[in-house]
Amino acid sequence: MTFWAICLIVLKIGVVVGVSQGAVAYLILVERKVAAYAQDRIGPNRAGPFGLLQPLADGAKMILKEDVIPSYVDKPLYILAPAIAIIAAMIGFAVVPFGPVGATAPDFLDGSRIDFQIAPGIDIGILYVFAIGSLGVYGVVLAGWASNNKYSFLGGIRSSAQLISYEIPLGMSILGMVLLTGSLDLNSIINWQDSHVWGIVVQPIGFLLFLISGFAETNRLPFDLPESEQELVGGFHTEYSAMKFGMFFLGEYLHVITVSYLIVILFFGGWDIPFLLDQTQTGWFWAFMKASVMLGKVGMLVFFIMWVRWTLPRFRYDTLMELAWKSLIPLAIVNFIATAAIVQLVYS
Amino acid sequence: MIEMPDNFPAISDLFRAILAIVCGAIGTYLLLPHPHGRIKARNVHILGVGLTALGLVLLASFWNAPASLISGFFFYLFGLSALGGAVLTVTSRNPVYSALWFAAVVLSTAGLFLLAGAQFLAAGTIIVYAGAIIVTFLFVIMLAQMEGKARYDRSSRSPAAATFTSYLLLWSLVFAVLCLRVPVGGVSPATNQASLANRLRPTTYLLDIYGGQMGSRSINSVLRESVRPTALLDPRKDRSKVADADPTIPHVAGLGATMFTDHLITVELSGILLFVALVGAIAIAQPKKPIRPTIATPSA
Repeated sequence: MTFWAICLIVLKIGVVVGVSQGAVAYLILVERKVAAYAQDRIGPNRAGPFGLLQPLADGAKMILKEDVIPSYVDKPLYILAPAIAIIAAMIGFAVVPFGPVGATAPDFLDGSRIDFQIAPGIDIGILYVFAIGSLGVYGVVLAGWASNNKYSFLGGIRSSAQLISYEIPLGMSILGMVLLTGSLDLNSIINWQDSHVWGIVVQPIGFLLFLISGFAETNRLPFDLPESEQELVGGFHTEYSAMKFGMFFLGEYLHVITVSYLIVILFFGGWDIPFLLDQTQTGWFWAFMKASVMLGKVGMLVFFIMWVRWTLPRFRYDTLMELAWKSLIPLAIVNFIATAAIVQLVYS
Repeated sequence: MIEMPDNFPAISDLFRAILAIVCGAIGTYLLLPHPHGRIKARNVHILGVGLTALGLVLLASFWNAPASLISGFFFYLFGLSALGGAVLTVTSRNPVYSALWFAAVVLSTAGLFLLAGAQFLAAGTIIVYAGAIIVTFLFVIMLAQMEGKARYDRSSRSPAAATFTSYLLLWSLVFAVLCLRVPVGGVSPATNQASLANRLRPTTYLLDIYGGQMGSRSINSVLRESVRPTALLDPRKDRSKVADADPTIPHVAGLGATMFTDHLITVELSGILLFVALVGAIAIAQPKKPIRPTIATPSA
């Protein structure tokens, strides 16, 4: 029993890793297509029909290119940095539910349940994601320092200040939802939204704060100060080439997927669609329906994140810091106290 | 006069532990750099390494094989990487590497917390230490230009006092563990909390002086509560039946309930302390008015 349980978990890890890496390859294609449409171009359309084989060509290019390690870098950390970037982005998926988990999950052959999550029943769910997310900054900071290059270094310094600052509103924005649902477990949060309303209805400010801080945490425009091309050449990854550069790219897109999943789970009801899907539906059909609904919502959010990239210009560094410390954090505190007061007065 | 409790460690074990501590202490003292940065003789270093290794071997002779293979494997993985990281934190020449090894220590410690069932503590440790504090360290270290090796990096301020304090702490830990030690084939403390509470008794001589009472409760009940895993901190159940609590009860809810009932004053005090520190930090960070010479003073 234990042996098969471990085998199942290893299988799930393999599926999640494989699918997410493939998804990232196609996200890069989507990004280029969205960019093209936003700029009134066609975008990549040479490799395969509609350019669908472009990710394969890109991947092959990344792997086959010469991997240059400059002589002046701090070699161990230079090699370690992209690995940290990708690992920190990858292991966050361990607690993200991709579909129904627990009582709503479909039965397997011998009556045991199949949970659409690598590690079901983790009580601290969302805290784990934040803990892992806070490790992602090491990849960028170390890349900047180990490259021994002024542009990289400035990128690394900017990144550490930015990520530390934006972690605070990111963490505080979810406290409202945690107070309302009474749990840190992502499945309980989805189930609460299924039996009440979506989180965005009860926590609109929390949603906005989470969205903005999420952009900053994933280093996406308008917050991509660590790698701003016009000022810093390439920022922290200036000295990286071939697959090491590709690993930073993979890590960034994996972060986008994780943040999108978290927004869907916390504020858009996870797999829930009012009046259509609820917790009483079990079995394989409904399980796949719910997983697909969740995937669709995540896809829409990813598209939104890419859309924003070509809509808003980059922040200046001091305005970026002022936004975090003078607007987002006070707003998050007010939102938290107001929610706590309402929960205390209404629920007890 | 207080009587020796039943599970006081055997004299031979005690002797072995004392020998290990003394050997380790002398060895570490010999290995530490000179207070004035002078270079020590090679033989002194060899002797220091030998004595420290002897102390480690003596301590390792207390080792018991782990009961469960998987959790034992992870325990030694996390424990050894935490110890190795700690040594490298202190001995690394480059401060950036020191900070990173410290991060490795924090991550391994979080792994040990997870093995012990303290999920919240594990996540909190990573968020606070690895995610915020060490990144701030790195920020400062990277901005500081390292021009060669400073002399104060190669000297230790007061090696004798440092060795004495750290090995005194290690001795008290070893003594506590010796008192808790289960003979091979005995009941594992994790499965029997009452026995664990009893085994903690030798470390509470001072409490016995007050007639075995702490407030209105007997010391045994206080000890029993103090060794509960967080998984069993259930606010809804009767305190006396807490040992057979349902394992599905949320860890975080139980932890929160305990912190805001049993440890309320501690929580409030630490909150006030942090608030005062925050006010102090803002007071220090307040920019001072630059002193500019006035062009024409009225008295002149």
